[in-house]
Amino acid sequence: MIEKVLIANRGEIAVRIIRACREMGIETVAVYSEADREALHTQLADEAICIGPASSSESYLNMEHIISATLVSGADAIHPGFGFLSENSRFAELCEQCNITFIGPDSSVIRKMGNKQEARNTMVAAGVPVIPGSQEPIFDAKKGAAAAEIIGYPVIVKAALGGGGKGMRVAETSGEFESSFNTAQKEAQMAFGDGTMYIEHFVRHPRHIEFQILADKHGNVVHLGERDCSIQRNHQKMIEESPSIALSPEMRRKMGEAAVKAAKAANYSSAGTIEFLLEKNGEFYFMEMNTRIQVEHPVTEWVTGIDLIKEQIRIADGEVLNYTQDDIKITGHAIECRINAENPKKNFRPSPGTITDMYLPGGKGVRIDSAIYSGYTVTPYYDSMLAKLIVHAGNREEAIQKMQSALGEIIIEGIETNVDYQYEILHHPDFESGDIDIEFIEKL
Amino acid sequence: MKLQNMFKKTRKKNYISLRDSKPEVPDGLLSKCNKCGSPIMTEDVKNGFYICPKCRGYFRIQACRRIEMLEDEGSFEEWDKGLTTANPLNFKGYEEKIQALQKKTGLEEAIVTGKIKVNGLDTVIGVCDGRFMMASMGEVVGEKITLAVERATKEQLPVILFACSGGARMQEGIVSLMQMAKTSAALKRHSDAGLLYISVLTDPTTGGVTASFAMLGDIILAEPNALIGFAGPRVIEQTIGEKLPKGFQRSEFLLEHGFIDKIVERENMKETLSQILRLHSKDTAPENVKVNFAEVSKEMAKEASSMSAWDRVLVSRRKDRPVADDYIERLFEEFMEFHGDRYFKDDKAIIGGTAYFHGRPVTVIAQAKGRTTKENIERNFGMPSPEGYRKALRLMKQAEKFGRPVICLVDTPGAFCGLEAEQRGQGEAIARNIFEMSGLRVPVISVVIGEGGSGGALAMAVADEVWMLENSVYSVLSPEGFASILWKDSKRAGEAAEVMRLTAGDLLKLEVIEKVIAEPENYTRENLDKVCGQLEIFLSDFLKVYTSFSIDELVEKRYQRFRRI
Repeated sequence: MIEKVLIANRGEIAVRIIRACREMGIETVAVYSEADREALHTQLADEAICIGPASSSESYLNMEHIISATLVSGADAIHPGFGFLSENSRFAELCEQCNITFIGPDSSVIRKMGNKQEARNTMVAAGVPVIPGSQEPIFDAKKGAAAAEIIGYPVIVKAALGGGGKGMRVAETSGEFESSFNTAQKEAQMAFGDGTMYIEHFVRHPRHIEFQILADKHGNVVHLGERDCSIQRNHQKMIEESPSIALSPEMRRKMGEAAVKAAKAANYSSAGTIEFLLEKNGEFYFMEMNTRIQVEHPVTEWVTGIDLIKEQIRIADGEVLNYTQDDIKITGHAIECRINAENPKKNFRPSPGTITDMYLPGGKGVRIDSAIYSGYTVTPYYDSMLAKLIVHAGNREEAIQKMQSALGEIIIEGIETNVDYQYEILHHPDFESGDIDIEFIEKL
Repeated sequence: MKLQNMFKKTRKKNYISLRDSKPEVPDGLLSKCNKCGSPIMTEDVKNGFYICPKCRGYFRIQACRRIEMLEDEGSFEEWDKGLTTANPLNFKGYEEKIQALQKKTGLEEAIVTGKIKVNGLDTVIGVCDGRFMMASMGEVVGEKITLAVERATKEQLPVILFACSGGARMQEGIVSLMQMAKTSAALKRHSDAGLLYISVLTDPTTGGVTASFAMLGDIILAEPNALIGFAGPRVIEQTIGEKLPKGFQRSEFLLEHGFIDKIVERENMKETLSQILRLHSKDTAPENVKVNFAEVSKEMAKEASSMSAWDRVLVSRRKDRPVADDYIERLFEEFMEFHGDRYFKDDKAIIGGTAYFHGRPVTVIAQAKGRTTKENIERNFGMPSPEGYRKALRLMKQAEKFGRPVICLVDTPGAFCGLEAEQRGQGEAIARNIFEMSGLRVPVISVVIGEGGSGGALAMAVADEVWMLENSVYSVLSPEGFASILWKDSKRAGEAAEVMRLTAGDLLKLEVIEKVIAEPENYTRENLDKVCGQLEIFLSDFLKVYTSFSIDELVEKRYQRFRRI
């Protein structure tokens, strides 16, 4: 029986977890860095232990200190939240070795899913679709063309050591392949001093669709529907919604089954997410599995009525899921906007400072997950997310209207935020009509 | 608004739960760093060269671990096993203590010796193990070192000794003291046979070990922050009745004071040792250069310019003129800098070390000005102190022992003129260099790359040939000094420059130098290649010619070179 949980995180997710524990009658222990003495999670928990200086590597990433704090406080479990140590298999293993319940999957599963190649192999073996691509490194255009033929056009040529878009070229047809390959290889040679290339099917204008799954330690796995997270900037999600307008009930069933299959193949337990890329023609490909709770989990909570954090704790305690796939019903539509301390006019640079005044909206179907309060100082040391605004309504249109209204109510003074930027997105005709893909923000 | 304990806490349960098991850290999973006190994962330490991942402090390591870190897997062959002490003083309880330690550590004595391969290169190795009576040197330790060194001499192998020791072993009294003489004498024979000895000092190296084999390396390396000294800090504090400053007797302190060549991080130790071993191995063969000499010199001839002597003085002093570091980076491969004169200090105005030139090991010694003001302050504007010249001489002597040609780069306004320099014998240091260089039994070439200021320059230019860059100068005194001595007016420096005959062209005519190397107009780091391209060819030719002379011919030629002037 878990009776006392140490939350190895900060910010709104730490608060979210503390609240779940309070509701369950579980005592909570917060850990905090010297910069977070006055943070909400530090104040809200039953106990709080300082684990080091502001820098994350010395505090929230300091495994030894967190383990020590757990032992000292007498907690019997650790919830890692997201980010920081949440997907660190060594940390999970350390908890296992010290007889501390790690609220998440086994360390071996985290390790396996954290390795891109191994995750991909697991999915291929389980029959989950992955992006077709060359398995072997390719060094010349001729061999590449043969591989591209099997993969199917359009293809993307990528440098093995690639990054920052260098050494990457798309070939639409076989006629274009040779010149695309040679350009990419030359670029790779110049930029990284290495001409080892890979070829992959090019997924054009995909949506980012992810499936929430819950799995207990007894082999029961259900999915809780999808989230459409296509609105992202530099791979950072900004808006998430559930369900996705792009999925027919048939597609949802197909992708959901694939997600459950993936989780079973990974021998998964706890809450997890299977990320897919969805192509316009309805093909979908496994991208990666997130072995933790996610920022955007509230949208799923709202359309399914399931409290994911509480489920995580119950599963960690060895309880059996008390519902099956058939019991999961998606009701209405939920949208989440991430409110960040950043300045969209200055290339989204972080904007730390003290919140002098603030007003957050409420009312039916409006939820705020946040750790800020009037007088709180946003430090420059950590992630810039201030709050998550989540709305729920009968359908997408109503949900958008509710979000528009709620965003219009938010007031945060003293620092720059992206509220106005989000407000504009919510009014964009393409967003309103649901015609979005992962390049939406780039095209703005 | 401040939130201070305003929220209600979870109500405590009114029962005591019975848990089947409580969280606890299993034995050995976590350890505590004895330097910074942080909890650390034992596995991280083991996989990380026994360095604390938090404070980068070094843990002392067992001899077998040390050997594992260095050897090519499975190449270690242990020598001279089974030696035990005869308890020469019949010291009470000593034998029992030894037996207990043998049982506890699995070691026979405080040192393990033998032969290993380091990246394919054979070497004799000895590693002290501090767990055994703080690796103090009794007759067995002395004997094992001596046997290993003797065998290395016989088999023509280099020796590497890792010192980690409290000094002489008190329980063995005078017999222990004699080990200092025995080991040193064996090393002397090894050295006289022209063989390489690398001493590596680790925490702690003190007492009779410091005062014998540890300080006798051709090259002395140290791990960071190791305690190295003769008298222990506690003894010194008690004797002088003062608290010692922080960092006293640490590796960095010794480096600054000229007693060690280089501090090497543990993770780089194998690479560094193998680099030194390879440089000293017999099978390094020079490569042939393929550069079109005619092309380069033709191109430069076009750019040759006519300038007044004073203008050339000014050019030679320009701030953006390339400095020694630039030439070293451009002309040599794998330059490894060695520090210190082994008497007093490491003078940063002179840098020296080993490198490869076209695949041939050479010793490079250079007077180094800085590229920036900050660097210049550190390098004392290229004005060497006596310890700089003594370091240069030490490295020349080392080159002589191992048959490496010496390449000197001269760039100094003059030897440093200051109180401390005189106290430590600036004149003596310069004289000693001139004296020793005249008879150095390897080829020596000096290139004046900027200012050749008087005796300070000559102390690195008693060479087989001396070359000058077109706009460098070389003189008995600065034009300012010349004018003020002869005409009592340093403002007439320009005039003095003209009559002093200090340009490269003048000196070539006077047969003081052998070669002038053309410079491009507006010579800076940007067009360094134009000069280095020529230097590369000239140096390559020089080495080809001068390494073909017999040593006696070489020394005689050098004698005559100065005799005729």
